[in-house]
Amino acid sequence: MSSSQVWSEDSGHDGNVHATRKYAPSPRRGEGWGEGLGWPCPPLHQGTFCSDFTQKHSSSARRPLTPTLSPKGRGSDIPAMNYNFAFLDEDTKRMLRRALLKAVAIPGYQVPFGSREMPLPYGWGTGGIQVTAALLGPDDVLKVIDQGADDTTNAVNIRRFFARVAGVATTEHTADATLIQTRHRIPETSLREDQILVFQVPEPEPLRTLEPREAETRTLHALADYGLMHVKLYEDIAQYGHIATSYDYPVLVDGRFLTSPSPIPKFDNPKMDHSPALMLFGAGREKRLYAIPPYTRVESLAFEDHPFEIQRWEHQCELCGSGESYLDEVVVDDRGTRMFVCSDTDFCGQRRAEAQA
Amino acid sequence: MMLAAFATTVFDSQRTFRELLQAMARPAAPRALPILPPSPASIAPAAMAVLLTLCDATTSVWLQQPQEDAVEHLRFHAGLRLAERPQDADFALITDPASMPSLTSFAHGDIRYPDRSASLIIQVAAFGSSPCVQGEVGRGSLALASTQDCTTPPQPSPVNKGGSSRAMHFAGPGIRETEILAIDRLPSDFWQQRAAMSVQLPLGVDLFFVAAQQVVALPRTTRLLES
Repeated sequence: MSSSQVWSEDSGHDGNVHATRKYAPSPRRGEGWGEGLGWPCPPLHQGTFCSDFTQKHSSSARRPLTPTLSPKGRGSDIPAMNYNFAFLDEDTKRMLRRALLKAVAIPGYQVPFGSREMPLPYGWGTGGIQVTAALLGPDDVLKVIDQGADDTTNAVNIRRFFARVAGVATTEHTADATLIQTRHRIPETSLREDQILVFQVPEPEPLRTLEPREAETRTLHALADYGLMHVKLYEDIAQYGHIATSYDYPVLVDGRFLTSPSPIPKFDNPKMDHSPALMLFGAGREKRLYAIPPYTRVESLAFEDHPFEIQRWEHQCELCGSGESYLDEVVVDDRGTRMFVCSDTDFCGQRRAEAQA
Repeated sequence: MMLAAFATTVFDSQRTFRELLQAMARPAAPRALPILPPSPASIAPAAMAVLLTLCDATTSVWLQQPQEDAVEHLRFHAGLRLAERPQDADFALITDPASMPSLTSFAHGDIRYPDRSASLIIQVAAFGSSPCVQGEVGRGSLALASTQDCTTPPQPSPVNKGGSSRAMHFAGPGIRETEILAIDRLPSDFWQQRAAMSVQLPLGVDLFFVAAQQVVALPRTTRLLES
């Protein structure tokens, strides 16, 4: 592996944005995952494994194997600091994995876990990143979206983070991904049974704004006492004439646990009901994770005379013409001109590519 | 002689975990474990794969038959603590289901923290499942005759022995309509015990059954339908 290998990552709503980065992999072979971590396997075996792995994956994913971060930055000649595959150590991953299995076994219930300090601040997706790190394997293809877009700061950074610490292939196409980490949207393209959706969650407790004490909300969940939330929705109707909650709209999972769908627009709530794909939720600051298994009943709370409704627009996407997708209103100049475009950049791009073909 | 564990710890446990996660997300559907590590005679390799993937020094494990070589092997490779009593265990390994303690003797969680409950790994002889429900390649080929039709009531498989191994219908979160599965040689009152526990939901225990290379999960929310 040459140290002057260059790779580029295309990331853009319209394919115009190119970020070309020069990555200098570690000059010494075998200086990769696991060394210096006290793995119970001999160095000879590691060297063999790493070179096999490099050959297999550098060809398929066009990525140099750079799971090492040098303290002096890329390309420095001093020995690199080594990280485990996918950044987290194995004890942490096992802890996360046990919590994830319990989360799936008790749909919608928030499992406490030992959230670790990550190399980015709370609020930037540390919960989602930890869940993804516990799931990720070398064969995975990762997609990361932020409000539906693949090309925003949060999405680009998390995608690069995992490309660097796990060497996994990344994609912007929903259909090509095995693992999708998302901030505040569910892709428009229907998900499949073999895909897993990981949500970044700022506040996992749907009752928190109504009841600040954790001990109390735990009790309310234990008793399935969700009257507070119904009163809140009723007060919306009394005040505004309709339920004014438009995102983070509370859902009841499998008829039992009141659950925050994370701040996705309520437009996406119906996609959670009997979804073919497993959905996992990670809240790093709040140290909670939870899950909605596939083919599970997910009801958005409502009243008989005020049924649940999703957002509708009078506009269509000005780029692809879609009338079914979730639209963002974008200010395009300093005179207040606005346009409506799809929030899901991959969906929009594919529709435009199809229209051109 | 000391046996080895996973050859490549990081990747083998990751691949095993992904199968366990999908097994838990799609209850009663057998899934193949990708790696079977070497294991002492009393523990099935599939059960060992589950233990090595999930257990470490922070978990306590109860062994139904704590034979010396098995205990030594688990302590060396996973560093886990052994629980004296079933109710103290995070994980329990059931190697002889016919004589297993009742499900109520395991931790079933706190009403505020139902996740503080045991996960049981139960070694069974074989699974039988109908290949025509939620069909997936390679599923349901182990024990049950593949001629069974979904429209007819499930017949006991000729491979199965005893009254508890008839094909059963399951429903619940993770199952699209129903899933059909037969599990060999469980105690005769096993399903009654489990049904009795279901009134305490969300409290309960979660089960992993292993046979040969396959694993089937039954979380507490999966219901056995009367057929």
